[in-house]
Amino acid sequence: MVDVSVTGLTKRFGAVTAVRDAGFTVAPGVTGFLGPNGAGKTTTLRMLLGLVRPTAGAALIDGRPYARLSEPRRVVGALLEATGFHPGRTARDHLAITARLAGLPAYRVGQVLDEVGLAGDARRRVGGFSLGMRQRLGLAGALLGDPPVLILDEPGNGLDPAGMAWLRGLLRDLAAQGRTVIVSSHVLSEVAQTVDRVIVMHEGTVRFAGTLDELAEPGPAGLEAAFLRLTSGLQPERSRS
Amino acid sequence: MTALISAELLRLRTTRSVWLLLGAAQVLIVVGISGVMLDRDDAGSPAVQQAAVAHIGLVSLFTLVLGIMAVAGEYRHRTITDTYLTVPRRGRVVAAKLVVSTGAGLVFGLVTALFALVVSAVWLAGRGFSLDAGAGGLWLTIAGGVAWNAAFAALGVGVGALITNQIGAIAAALAWLALVEGLVARLVGDAGQWLPFALGSALDRLPTAVDGPPQWLAGLALTGYAAVFVLAGAATTLRRDVT
Repeated sequence: MVDVSVTGLTKRFGAVTAVRDAGFTVAPGVTGFLGPNGAGKTTTLRMLLGLVRPTAGAALIDGRPYARLSEPRRVVGALLEATGFHPGRTARDHLAITARLAGLPAYRVGQVLDEVGLAGDARRRVGGFSLGMRQRLGLAGALLGDPPVLILDEPGNGLDPAGMAWLRGLLRDLAAQGRTVIVSSHVLSEVAQTVDRVIVMHEGTVRFAGTLDELAEPGPAGLEAAFLRLTSGLQPERSRS
Repeated sequence: MTALISAELLRLRTTRSVWLLLGAAQVLIVVGISGVMLDRDDAGSPAVQQAAVAHIGLVSLFTLVLGIMAVAGEYRHRTITDTYLTVPRRGRVVAAKLVVSTGAGLVFGLVTALFALVVSAVWLAGRGFSLDAGAGGLWLTIAGGVAWNAAFAALGVGVGALITNQIGAIAAALAWLALVEGLVARLVGDAGQWLPFALGSALDRLPTAVDGPPQWLAGLALTGYAAVFVLAGAATTLRRDVT
């Protein structure tokens, strides 16, 4: 089991504080990472992945900052919103480059393409891919190193209903294998069906971290009510000012 | 490091850009050498033949773009996120790109040199002359032209790391070569011979390069430029947040 823990994490971009004193730990299973746009979710995930340097605090995976992991792709798989592809390169070549960079065996490329349902499109250039296919290719990249931790930023973007059902199954399977999966999303109905735990961020701070049952009544309506309560301006701490 | 270099090689040859640049470079060779051969009656003279093959060095414009694209292209297509996730020690990424791009620049130079010799020989044969392969100046120009290609590829990696906006980096580099260096040269007088294109011209023994530094010193100075840009690019790229 690999620990993911964030303590006192703060990031300022100039005068703007994107993340303020955030703290949480993530256990195996699927954790939903929720919050309105601009809540600081993506910045937090990027600090966890060593792409953005924290102003203060620590974001640790297996007790170390991401950059200190000796073989990061074998520990963490990530799908970020801004993950890109060269449009002129085939899906297979894209993954083959990552596999070489990471020192992973080349046969993993075919395996993960199979896993995400892109085996038939492996030799096509990514420029001709739909948004949903790009998401699948991004997921294939995240799975390449067979990592115990997965960090997925809005993985459902661009997926059609069948794709969403497939993604739900994939997340459940990954969790059943004992992996730690962090999924950011703003589709609450989707989250309510998939996650075991939730972290809610708003205006750069963590407003809730715990199990879904502790947060809300069962079902999408209960989660929505709780989410709006946590992220509206009617916080007790804010109404005092 | 072997894995990184092998990955960069795969990255280079799995897009069409590199082949398009290499093809465009050969068009430049045909046009440039044909221009010299049509213009001059004394095509048998070593000076004319040297002026013809000196076009090899001008292909460094293409290797400069190739080097820029190796780094800035990753920012443009946002594959840089994935690259840094795989290799968080960013200095190693830049080092691998430097090795592979410089090597690619060298290959560009060698392929172009071979092609330039063939094109020159065909022109000369058509006009009843032959290539004076015994002329030492010819081979010094060829060697210098190939070295210019490699040096500008390395310089491109530095420029691309410093200006990660690909369009901006290519525009700035080409504007420098086409316009700005000439203006600066007029302001600084004799020091103008130490500017990058002037150094390349001296290295390539271009007919326009007179009174420049000797070939070996020009090569050394160009290597210095490449080193400064790569170090400056690495120092900024390594610290920058990838958002």
